[in-house]
Formats: sequence, C-alpha cells, structure tokens
Amino acid sequence: MDVLIGLIVGVPAAIAAAGFLLHERKDALQRLNQGGSLILLLLIAIVARAVAQHGVIQGGLFYVDSLSALLLIVVGILQTTACWVSAPYLAEEGVSKEELAKYYALLQLFICTMLLVLMVENLGIMWVAVEATTLASALLVAFYVSRSALEAAWKYVMVCTVGICLALLGLMILYYAQTAAGGNGSDALSWLVLRREIGTLNPLLVKLSLIFIVIGYGTKIGLAPMHTWLPDAHSQAPSPVSGLLSGALLSCAMYVLLRHLALFQDAVPHAFLQWLLLGFGLFSIVVALPFILVQHDVKRLLAYSSVENMGIILVGVGIWTPLAMYGALLHLINHALIKSALFYLSGVIAQRYHTKDILRIRGLVRLMPLTGSLFLLLLLTITGVPPMGIFISKLTIIWAAFQSGDRLLGVSLLLLLAGVCAGLLYYCWQICFSVQPRQAVPSEAERVVLAAAGISFSVVLFLGLVMPVWLGEMLHQAVLMVMGG
Amino acid sequence: MNILTVLLMLTSFSLTRVSHMKTAVQLLVAQSLMVAAVCVVVAAETASLHGYLVAGLTLVVKAGLIPFSLLRMLKASRHEREIHPILSYNLSSLAAGLCLVLAHSIVGQAKIGADNGEALASAIALTLLGLMLIMTRRQALMQVVGLLTMENGLYLVGLSITHGLPLIIELGIFFDVLVVAVVLSILIRRLRLKGLSTDTSQLQELKG
Repeated sequence: MDVLIGLIVGVPAAIAAAGFLLHERKDALQRLNQGGSLILLLLIAIVARAVAQHGVIQGGLFYVDSLSALLLIVVGILQTTACWVSAPYLAEEGVSKEELAKYYALLQLFICTMLLVLMVENLGIMWVAVEATTLASALLVAFYVSRSALEAAWKYVMVCTVGICLALLGLMILYYAQTAAGGNGSDALSWLVLRREIGTLNPLLVKLSLIFIVIGYGTKIGLAPMHTWLPDAHSQAPSPVSGLLSGALLSCAMYVLLRHLALFQDAVPHAFLQWLLLGFGLFSIVVALPFILVQHDVKRLLAYSSVENMGIILVGVGIWTPLAMYGALLHLINHALIKSALFYLSGVIAQRYHTKDILRIRGLVRLMPLTGSLFLLLLLTITGVPPMGIFISKLTIIWAAFQSGDRLLGVSLLLLLAGVCAGLLYYCWQICFSVQPRQAVPSEAERVVLAAAGISFSVVLFLGLVMPVWLGEMLHQAVLMVMGG
Repeated sequence: MNILTVLLMLTSFSLTRVSHMKTAVQLLVAQSLMVAAVCVVVAAETASLHGYLVAGLTLVVKAGLIPFSLLRMLKASRHEREIHPILSYNLSSLAAGLCLVLAHSIVGQAKIGADNGEALASAIALTLLGLMLIMTRRQALMQVVGLLTMENGLYLVGLSITHGLPLIIELGIFFDVLVVAVVLSILIRRLRLKGLSTDTSQLQELKG
C-alpha cells in the first residue's frame, strides 16, 4: 500500500518532468497527460477500495482514511476530466509549444500538491502542502499574460499567503500548547497523537489556535469576507484550471478544515465552534447572493456560486449533527463534480461566442443544441432541482437545520437559497433561450468536453437517485471520523 | 538577545520610511541576518544542531537567494519608487509604533512565554508591521518585502515560544517562502513585460 500511495504522488510529478522532454511534440505531450491521468485515476480507485475494505491506511508520513479517500476520488475524477478537456481548449486558444509544455507541467504539479494535502498525516506538512497548492496554481491563473490575469494572480498569492500565514500562527500556538503539556519533538503536530492528547492541552491556547486556523484556511476555502481573491482567480484562469480550482482545490481546503475540526471538537466548547462555523457559512452565502443576482461575467457567476456553496457546506458542518455532516460531505462531492463541468462548458461557450459577458451570450440551446442542453441541465442541477444529487444534499442540510431545533437558521437558509436559485435561473434563461440573430453559427463543443461534462452530470444524477452501498458506508465512516466516533 | 531584538525593531522601523526599492531590499537583508543571529543564540542556549541548521538556512534563503533575485529584478527595471503610499511615511511610522505597543500588551495579557516575553513581543510586532506594509504600500515589490517581513515575524514567534518547529516542517516552510518569492518575482516581471506599472493600485480592473 505504501508503494501505491507513493505512486499517487509520484505519477503527476513524473508526468510534469517527462513533459519537458516532449515539449517539441504537442500530440505526444497531450497523450502523455491524458494517459497519465487515467493511470492516476486507477491508482486512486485501488487505494479508495482498500480504504473501503480496511478502514485506514497509514505508514510513515501518510495517513488515508475514509474522508481522505472520498476527496481522493473527487480529485481523481476531476484531474482526469481536466487533463482531457485541456487539449481541445488550448488548441482553440492557439497556445505555442513552449506555453503548452509549461501549462501541463504546472497542471501536474498542482494536482500533485492537492493529492499530497489529502494524504499527509502531520498538520505541519499539510500546511506546507496547502501553501504549495497556491503557488503551483498561481502561475496557471496568470497563464494568459494579460493585465487582468496578472491582477488576479497577484491578489490570489497575496491574500492566500497572508491567510495561510495566520493558519501557521494557529499551528504554532497549537504546537506551543503541545510542548507545554509535555509533548516531545518527535510527535509534534502529528494528527493522530494530537487527537489522543488534545483534551490535556491548555483550552485557552487551543481556542486561540482554532480561531487562527479557521480564518487562515477559511481564506483558502473562499469564505467571506476573505473570499475577495476567489472570483478573480477562478474567472481569469484557463477554464480547465478554473474547474480544478473551484471543484478540487476548494474541496481540498474544506477537507483540511474538517481534519482540524475533527481534532478541535474535543477541546473547544461546541457552542463556540458552531457559532464560528455557522457565522462564516451564512455570511458567505449572504455576501455571494447580490453578486450572483447582478453579474455580467459567466465565469464570475460560477465563482460566486462556489463561494455560496462553500458557505452551504460550512453551515452543514456547523450544525454539527451526523445528518448535517453527511449532507455537507455529500454536497462537497456533488458541488465539485458539477462546478468543474460547468467551468469546462463555460470555457467552450466563451471561446465560441468570443466573450464571457452574459448579455452577449444568447440563444445557446438553439445555436449549440447539445452543449446548450447540457449547460442548462448542469445549471439547473447546481440550483438544486430534483432529482439530482445536489437537491438531496441541500435538502439534507436544511432538514438537519430544522431538526436541530434552530428554526431561524433553517428558514434563513431556505430564503437565501431561494434567492440564489432565482438569480441563477434568470441568467440560465438569458443564456440558453433568449433569441438573438447571428450570422455565424458557433459549432458544438468537442466530444471530449461533452463527455467529461456528461460523465460528471450522470454521476450526480445517479447519486440523486441511488446511493451506492460502499459510498454510503464511506460517507458514514467519514462523518464518524470528523465528529469523533 | 535584547540587543538583537532592539536592532531588529530598528531596521524594521526604517522600512516604514523607505521609498527606494533597493534600500528596502537591503533592510530586508539586514532583518533576515538578525533573524539568523537570533536562531544562533537560541541554538546555543538549547545546544541543538537543528537550531544551527535552521540559522544557516535562514542565511542562505532569506538573506541570500531571495534578496539576490529581488535585486536582480530591480536592476532590470526602470527607476521605480514608492511615491504615494496609502499611508504617509510619518503615519506608517506611527502605526508601526502602535504595532509594537499592541504586541507588548498582547504578550502582557496572555502571560505566555514569560522567559522571553521581550522576543515574543518583537516577533508579533514584526508580523503586524509586515501586514501593515502589505496593506499600505502600492508598489508590488514593497508588498513582497512586507510579506517576507511578516514571514520573518511569524518565524520568530515560533522560535520564541517553542524553540522552532520540527525540522521537516521548517524545511517545508523555507521551501514555500522561497517559491513565494520566485512566483511573485515572475508576476512582477510579467507586469513589466506587458509595459505595465508595478504600482498595484492600478490593478483594479476586476470588480463585482
């Protein structure tokens, strides 16, 4: 198993390195990345299967349990679709050979760092890996050397690095509490050790540490008011990268927060924890709402929807009942799949219409029937239309809110979601149906892109109808892990 | 130790009054040298090899590689200065003073790290000062200097409360800091290539 885990990190790194040898040959480079992504997906599937059977895999620096395995599957699927979608997208953009080699190398490094985040056991090393995801993706955000792309990348690095420095401060305080309670250097910041010992640490220091960690990693998740970098970075990056940023990276950041919460919940009063999480969660939805209602850039619309969805997930976590946690984890998976597919398609649409301006994208369903209908279905899914998986996960969270006895929370959540839904449906109508005469009929999206988006959509549709036993069991295990069972 | 912290505070205070990028980077080097010196003092106190190693790394990465790359980038540039910072020089010196007072009061309140409260207070002040530089300076390079100052401060916080994190994590952090500096210099270079000013207040296209 150790070898397999090593391979999961090693394969993307190897592809990144091999890419430089092939930079003269575009086709070979693309085939290398596409083939490599399938191998990586297979490796991840094997590890996830092993986790489903044995519960936990650990050894050396690595620790993979059901929560990590769930996220590994998500990142595995998304990196595959992103690698396959990149080829037609970049061909349409007409990038040079050198740029292409650079793009794939950075993409693979980015994937590598995300996988590392999901598999390391030590919180300090996890911090290093999270910061590495920012750095690997920053140059991808600035891939188009345009003024706005550079602005987005600059903001991204600055805001996220400062945020994550606060998380480091939190970790230092935690380590101080650990040494003060007599921990020795060898098990410093080890998640497993801390999980045993957190009850014996100075509660005041632990609480202080929690605040810094929630704010720090919250910046990376894109929680308001630290979300300012997110719509810029997600809208300026090349679309396959936007899909990964929104689907995979935000989910990884949420995973990191959950991993820390699993520790802290034993040492911090639950009322305080819930207040913190619900506050950030609801505030994120509230802040995202007006930007979704009045938006003219299709990729920014999707980015603000990500802020909103991360808010929903955090509210689910903050309710802190097993049912709500289950809903939150399910929502994390659903959102990752659907949002990445939406970004892939929006990339194609922006290329065909030569604009990202919603007001100028008209009559999509008539002009590109297949792409248009798929985009329509995906947008409907993200708003939470039954019978798709997102409907189930949103319903579960709202249900849990009412069940926890907090009616006000349930009602405000419902109202906010209705507002977001109205905004998205309005733009959905504008883009898909309003008619505008055009001379040139844009061609359909490439088959690969349609297939990638179609697969994500069918998985989420399937999750809405049937929950496979193994996945249900894995979610259940993950809930127990976070809530300390 | 006390002399070192005073010197550290002095160099960092002068950062608030600098308009030439080159001077700012030189001050950053001085600051990093002092951080390395603090590392050596702590290492000598605890007699740990780990401490000396980290001091050496600080010297190589923060006082060597990073300033070198920043200075090289400056050489290639037009003569850019911080002309109109968001907070004037006098005000930012005042704010830096407030940071120091705030840091001391925090440490006094929390009563942690009683044996080297002085060092901890300066470390927190350094972190706050770095944050202030990031927020109140328009020049891209000054923001990088601010970020590195903040990082130095955080590093000292860790050093003064726990004698440093475990080596493997420290190595990772050093690597990340180095890459941050590289990524930011690449971004600045690209801004220049586009013929744009490195004045970040002009980067305000993305809104809403």
